[in-house]
Amino acid sequence: MKILVIEDDTVISELICMNLEAAGYETDAVFDGTAAEKMLLGSTCSDIALALVDVMLPGKDGFALMENLQAAQIPVIYLTARDDVISKVHGLKSGAEDYIVKPFEVLELLVRIDKVLQRTGRGREKLKIRDVMIDLKEHRVTKGGIPVKLKPMEYELLVMLAGSKNVAFSREELLNRLWGVDYVGETRTVDVHIGQLRKKLDFYDVIRTISKTGYRLED
Amino acid sequence: MKLWVKISLITVVTILTCTGISGAVSIYHWALYNRAKTVESYERQVRAAAYAVGKELDYEPTAHFHETTVRSYYHYVIQKFGLSQYILIEADEVVCNKTPYTLENPADSRWGQEEGYCVVQKNNDKYILLIGQKVPANGNKDYKLVLVQDISFVYEDIRRQATFDLMVYLATALVAVLLVFAATHTALRPLLALQRAAQAISDGHLSSRAAVRRKDEIGAMAVAFNSMADRIERQVNELSEESGRRLQMLGSLTHEMKTPMTSIMGYADSLLHVKLSGEQKESALRHIYGECGRLGRLSSKLMSLIGMYDNDSIDMQEVSVQEMFKNVVSLEQSCLEQKGIGLEYRCEMDRRSLDRDLFESLLINLVDNAAKASHAGQTIWLTAQENRITVRDEGCGIAREEIGKVTEAFYMVDKARSRQAGGCGLGLALCSRIASLHGATLQIESVEGKGTEVSVVFSH
Repeated sequence: MKILVIEDDTVISELICMNLEAAGYETDAVFDGTAAEKMLLGSTCSDIALALVDVMLPGKDGFALMENLQAAQIPVIYLTARDDVISKVHGLKSGAEDYIVKPFEVLELLVRIDKVLQRTGRGREKLKIRDVMIDLKEHRVTKGGIPVKLKPMEYELLVMLAGSKNVAFSREELLNRLWGVDYVGETRTVDVHIGQLRKKLDFYDVIRTISKTGYRLED
Repeated sequence: MKLWVKISLITVVTILTCTGISGAVSIYHWALYNRAKTVESYERQVRAAAYAVGKELDYEPTAHFHETTVRSYYHYVIQKFGLSQYILIEADEVVCNKTPYTLENPADSRWGQEEGYCVVQKNNDKYILLIGQKVPANGNKDYKLVLVQDISFVYEDIRRQATFDLMVYLATALVAVLLVFAATHTALRPLLALQRAAQAISDGHLSSRAAVRRKDEIGAMAVAFNSMADRIERQVNELSEESGRRLQMLGSLTHEMKTPMTSIMGYADSLLHVKLSGEQKESALRHIYGECGRLGRLSSKLMSLIGMYDNDSIDMQEVSVQEMFKNVVSLEQSCLEQKGIGLEYRCEMDRRSLDRDLFESLLINLVDNAAKASHAGQTIWLTAQENRITVRDEGCGIAREEIGKVTEAFYMVDKARSRQAGGCGLGLALCSRIASLHGATLQIESVEGKGTEVSVVFSH
């Protein structure tokens, strides 16, 4: 699963690539609009699942690149410092799947990328963590080939953590994303479910408790 | 009360009072003269009559006549001379009275003077002139002759004349009032136009002007007013442009702050939440450190830019350009030698009024820019001649469409490379600002691949 990063600031480009790679994606970084266009017109982009595009680029700007990206059938997420409504509307109207304003949080970026990939049918079908295989299509989890019975919320929690592996989620975040904002529960609920997952999958050293933050699934 | 009414009233009252007084005085004088003339002519008449009567009474001895005869004789004499307005007095007794009046006190000594004595009495709306004179007759009898003449006609004349004059006076006064009011109103009407223009300006219509074409003081005032309005309009426009520029700069600033902030936040976030290798952690920390440095440079450059925007008072002094060049070269030399870039200077300018610190930083900025564009083995030229100071390099040059934008704050032709070189896109904006503080402009000529020439051109 390869993600194209078109960003002219090398420091930010490196930041994005680093996090995407940690979360299990492959990355391809391009630093200006002209180079991106050249690449998209070539044939080397067939394996790209998604593009993260800065709007203000030297050469050809991000909005102008949309045509090439659509021709290559690559879904686009704009990642830009321009937070005015007009730019947002323009970006989304031109066919972008999402619009993220800098500065952004790593977790948000990863979750949004995941959502866009799922929406455009490019989502990963299977997630593998050590000997555990998650079949996202069939909602089945096997450990060493043997099916493991998980409750619905335990499954959702596992998918969320595995989908952005190596990235820490806070208890509140997990609670909000999985149980919904309206859920009147305590973060204890999350702890209970994490405990169940660890027990059922023998993930005691895979799902790590990060002090003062929450949980992180590491492979 | 409106000014034109005030001025008109003052003028009218003054004129009418003066002409009224002079008219009244002249009429009064004329009346006196008229009456005196009339009286004088009657006096002459009385004198003649007295003389004639005296002669008559001289020739006719009346002493031995009977009293009645004497009376008849007197009547006869008076009748003879047709003196129907006379009273003849003999020894304090009226002996003949042809008038319809009665003399109250015939014994009055006033009537017996040698020269005629006159008095005017008012009697039932009539003016009666009385002139008495001693009749010059020889003999022992003492005669007096008194004229009783109604001279109401003289007063009537005077009254009629005065009435006529008053009419004429009132008529001309009315015309004068109208003329004065009209003239003052016309003369002061431009003030109204001026007031309207001032009101319009205070209501915010800065482009409105007073349409007054006059050569008098009001015209001069309108010209002064219009030039004041011009200046205000120009300054307000300048101010709004300036605030627009500042707003744009603030916009650019927030945008420019976002890039390092995104990096810093992102790396810190990654360090906190993402499982990273030791190498990645170190790289993240390095990037955070580097981006903080960029923010620091950005803020210090901005401080100097804002400082200069706020404080236009710069310290102008006569500075030797030659010395300044030497200073700049000595500051830059070592840095340029490391890169293998040469720096040559030629100064044909003597002394100039400059703020030395600011201008030096401008030159250093330009030389730094030139150095960034140059490669090893190339030379940077610093020259001063006539009214321009030029920094020329043989480096990569600027694309034609970029030249206009390079002096905008935060503009970078090649962002990635500029940042690596430690720039933040404020250098030329600062230079341009410093140049304009010296009444100079920044001219940039460049051919891509051949080199760039940046000149500070002084207007004087």
